[in-house]
Amino acid sequence: MFKFPRSILILAAAFALHNANAAEVNVYAAASLTDVMKEIAANYEKENTDKIVFNFGASSLLARQIAERAPADIFISADEAKMDDLQKAGLIATETRRDLLSNSLVIVVPNDSKLEITSPDALLTKVQKIAIADPRAVPAGIYTKEYLSGLGLWDKLEPKMVPTENVRAALAAVESGDVDAGFVYKTDANISKKVKVAFSVPVEKGPAIRYPVAIVNEAKNKRAAEEFLRYLESDSARKLFEQYGFIVKF
Amino acid sequence: MKLEIRALSLRLEQFTLELNVDLQNARTGIFGPSGAGKTSLLESIAGLRKPETARIRLDDCLFEDTEQDYSLPVRLRKIGYVPQDDSLFPHLSVRRNLLYGTDGQSKQNTFSFDHVISFLKIGALLDRDVRSLSRGENQRIVIARALLSAPRLLLLDEPLTALDAGLKETILEQLRSLHDEFGIPMLYVTHDPAEAIESCEEVLMLESGKITARGHPGELLG
Amino acid sequence: MWLTPAEWQIIGFTLAVCTLSTLVILPFGLAVAWPLARYRWPGKLLVETLVTLPLVLPPVATGMLLLKLFSRRGELGQFLHNQLGIDVVFTWRAVVVAAAVMSFPLLVRSARVGFQSVNQRFEHIARTLGAGDARVFLTVTLPLALRGIVAGVVLAFARAVGEFGATIVVAGNIPGRTTTLSLEIFETVQLGHDTSAYRLLIVSVIIAFGAVWLSEALMKKSALR
Repeated sequence: MFKFPRSILILAAAFALHNANAAEVNVYAAASLTDVMKEIAANYEKENTDKIVFNFGASSLLARQIAERAPADIFISADEAKMDDLQKAGLIATETRRDLLSNSLVIVVPNDSKLEITSPDALLTKVQKIAIADPRAVPAGIYTKEYLSGLGLWDKLEPKMVPTENVRAALAAVESGDVDAGFVYKTDANISKKVKVAFSVPVEKGPAIRYPVAIVNEAKNKRAAEEFLRYLESDSARKLFEQYGFIVKF
Repeated sequence: MKLEIRALSLRLEQFTLELNVDLQNARTGIFGPSGAGKTSLLESIAGLRKPETARIRLDDCLFEDTEQDYSLPVRLRKIGYVPQDDSLFPHLSVRRNLLYGTDGQSKQNTFSFDHVISFLKIGALLDRDVRSLSRGENQRIVIARALLSAPRLLLLDEPLTALDAGLKETILEQLRSLHDEFGIPMLYVTHDPAEAIESCEEVLMLESGKITARGHPGELLG
Repeated sequence: MWLTPAEWQIIGFTLAVCTLSTLVILPFGLAVAWPLARYRWPGKLLVETLVTLPLVLPPVATGMLLLKLFSRRGELGQFLHNQLGIDVVFTWRAVVVAAAVMSFPLLVRSARVGFQSVNQRFEHIARTLGAGDARVFLTVTLPLALRGIVAGVVLAFARAVGEFGATIVVAGNIPGRTTTLSLEIFETVQLGHDTSAYRLLIVSVIIAFGAVWLSEALMKKSALR
């Protein structure tokens, strides 16, 4: 008979018991939150046995996936419309919904660009191609369209627009130099070393950007989701959000 | 005509084809069992196969000289080739098959289309579908096509296989008088002694790639 | 009308781009298929691998390679932008490039089989009848290989119409300028406009039928029935 050292058996039991309580929290979050959320989750996992699993993408796509019953526990959208849709469909726990963050829009150009864009008007004459997240669906694009329509510039600029899948793709397009400028969030511009901000949309003049968060009704582990949601409103999370350039709303 | 084949060496599967021979007759037969190298010999003369060494000359035209690294392209050799298997272009009509070799030739270099057609008795076949032809009809058209390109030499590889006796007789007649009618010499490959005796003035016996005998067909094969 | 003007534009654009890409790859495809069918040479395996690559790589990966090459900062894109003032990425040209690259292997494979099926005896006979290389190729080889070549063209065209992954990476989905049928179906599904998606799906099926019908008609016209 093969004798297992007893200590290994005890360790194995302890490990199993330990992990029996550890849960996975599936967080579906807007693409613009990619970098900050990863860092927040890493910190969370240092103090907590739960594991955070992310699905980043355009809020429109994520909302669609959740509507098709994708296994999300928490949804952080980049605009209220997508959250409203899910709320109307009864898919989120309404009492858990709140505004988490805000952001601002900027016009970015490639780092080595010589273009001087001091206002959105300059886009009429100085550029050929402008990257924006798809204005038909993606919040960043919708906000941009809202802003430019308010200035009466949208119709004239639309022929120059190169719509992308999500706001990070718009950023990548500017980084590659294949477009002359792009509209992204200030937080995206902060992340990238290959672009520089040409113009910042003043928060008062710009569209009201809101990132609502909520727990999905069919979340597998509500306890773990609530814990992480609380953490997102903690001081350490706040510090990180502000570091990345987000405007904190809690 | 004078066909010089010197120092020809072509490695085949079982043996090496080696020849050193001058041919002068209007109708020369190449006789031997299957696999003796007869087809490879014809292909070498036509330029469809490249021997390791050879010097081949037809009258005043040098075809091949491996020592000098010289090889006349197939299309310039003006050799009519009637292979063993089906060779009529399946995507062309009988008429266009016949005319294929006459493109770009001046009228003086070609034989009259009507002359060749009536000689081989294929007038009724001109508008037939190539795929509907009997073997005998097929063969006559292939011969006619080769003739119409006004070749200097005609190479025939077992042209009468799979034909019934009566048809063989007819076409043999035509082949025998081909030289009289058109003045073109021929090399005639066969493994049938009767055919050789009927149609050739001289016969070369080919066995395992070497010429083992040479002479009058009646004497060698009769 | 059953289809909106915007949808008609997309269909017309897709057909135009795919026809162009197929025409562009035809001479190159034949030029590559022919030696692959007939000759052997050191490095042949490398050529075969390169040609098959777009078939095997994930389309998005191929799109990324094309993006790198044709970007304004890329090797080819730089030259085109600086010397000729031509942009490829995010324009209709990228759509053509993506379609051409992705459909090229299919054309080569079919054409190669077509060429291999041609009995060399016919080519030999043609030479003895005085035809030079060009004439042999045009009057004997090509007609006899036609079945395989036409199949290759139809396959390539169909692949071009269905192309998505590489296109969206290198051309983007710009309404009125680079949106193809496949891209539009994707977008309508994304946005939840299912009826539009189904309408366009039906159009795709009609195009597929059309392509096959055309190839049969072409085959009947050629001497080979």
